[in-house]
Amino acid sequence: MTDIPPALEKSRMIQLRVLRYCPSSDSEPSFVVYNVPFSDDMSVLQGLQAIKADQDGSLSFRWSCRMAVCGSCGMMINDEPKLACETFLRDLAPGPVTIEPLRNFPIERDLVVTVGDFVKKIESIYPYIMPKVPKSIEDGPYLQTPAQMAAYDSFADCINCMLCYAACPQFGANPAFIGPGAMAMLQRYNSDSRDGGQLQRLDQIHGEDGVWSCTAVGVCSEVCPKQVDPANAVNQNKTRSALDFFLRFLRKAPSP
Amino acid sequence: MSEQRPFHRPMPANWWAHKPYLSYTLRELTGVAVALYGVILLAGLVCLWLGADAYAGYQDVIASKLSLLAHLLLLVAMLWHVVTWFQTLPKTMPRLILHGKPVKPQSITAIGLLVAGVCSVALLAAVVALGAWS
Repeated sequence: MTDIPPALEKSRMIQLRVLRYCPSSDSEPSFVVYNVPFSDDMSVLQGLQAIKADQDGSLSFRWSCRMAVCGSCGMMINDEPKLACETFLRDLAPGPVTIEPLRNFPIERDLVVTVGDFVKKIESIYPYIMPKVPKSIEDGPYLQTPAQMAAYDSFADCINCMLCYAACPQFGANPAFIGPGAMAMLQRYNSDSRDGGQLQRLDQIHGEDGVWSCTAVGVCSEVCPKQVDPANAVNQNKTRSALDFFLRFLRKAPSP
Repeated sequence: MSEQRPFHRPMPANWWAHKPYLSYTLRELTGVAVALYGVILLAGLVCLWLGADAYAGYQDVIASKLSLLAHLLLLVAMLWHVVTWFQTLPKTMPRLILHGKPVKPQSITAIGLLVAGVCSVALLAAVVALGAWS
C-alpha cells in the first residue's frame, strides 16, 4: 500500500558537466558543473531545460520536437554522439554526465555548433527528385513498386541530426569531406526509380572530398538514431565513382 | 547582436585508440598481418628459386618454435581479418532486394563467410590430394 509510483518518487540528483563557451567573453570552452534533480522519465534534454529554467538562463542548446524526429538536439553525451531527447538520465545515473557540443564541428556557443557547412553539402547533392521523364499532371502519377521503394526508403529516414559527422574521424581530419549524412541523402535520390539525376550528382561523389575520404570505419552507422546506414551509402558510391572513372568516355553526356 | 567567433576544437591525435574506433583500428592492423604472411610466402618462393640449399634453410626457419608461434598469431589475425572483411562487405554493396524485401546484412556476411570457407577447404583438399598423387 505504501508503494509510490517511480515518477512520484522523491527526485534524485545527478551531476551534469556541460562544456560552455561564450564567444564574446571566453577564449576557449570550459566545463561548468550543475547538479540537477531528476526523475525516471527525464531525458538529458529535460535536464538541460531544468538548468536553463532554474540555474542559468544563458545556457544555449538547440532543440525542437523532443521525440527524435527533428534532429536538432544532437550532442556528445559521455563522449558519444546522441540525441539528448532520447537519452535518459536514469540510464546515466549516478553520473557525472559529460555533455559537449557535437564533435568535429566549430562551436558557435555552448552546445550550439555551426551547421552552415553541412547545409551547403546537402544542397550540393540536389536533394530532390529530378524526373527521368517529365510528366504533366494529365499523364498521372509516377508509379513505384514496393521493391523499388525498398531500394531507397531507409535512406529517406535521415533527420539531418549530424551524429554521423560527429562519429566520423575522416570528417574530423578533412572537413571538406562530403560525409555520411549528405551521401545518405544522395543515395536516397540516386536509388529512387523515378529519379534521373545520377549524372549531376557524380561530382559530389568523386575525389578525396567525395566518397574517397571514407575508410569504412563504420561508426557513423552505429550512432545513427534512425538506422539509415550512411556507411552503406558512402561505400556503395565508391563503386559508382570507380566505374565512372573507367566508363566516363563511353557515356553520352559529358560530366558538367 | 552578439559576437560570432566559432571555436574549432582539434581532433585528438589518438582518436583511433578511443573505444568506438578500437575495433576499426584492430581490423586495419590485421591487414599488416596479411601483408606479413605474404612476405613469408614470397621469401619461400625466392628461396626455392635460389636452389635446394636455400630452400632447405627456409624450411628449417619455418619449422622453428618461434616461427610456429608467429604462424599461430598470424592465423588468429588472418581469421579476424576474414570475419571483419565479410562484416564490412554488406556496407560496400548496393542494396539487394529479394521478393520486395532488402536482404539482411547478417545474411550477406554469413553467405560470404560460408563460400570463403568452402572454397578454402576445397583448395586445401585439392593441394593435399595433388601432393599425395604426384
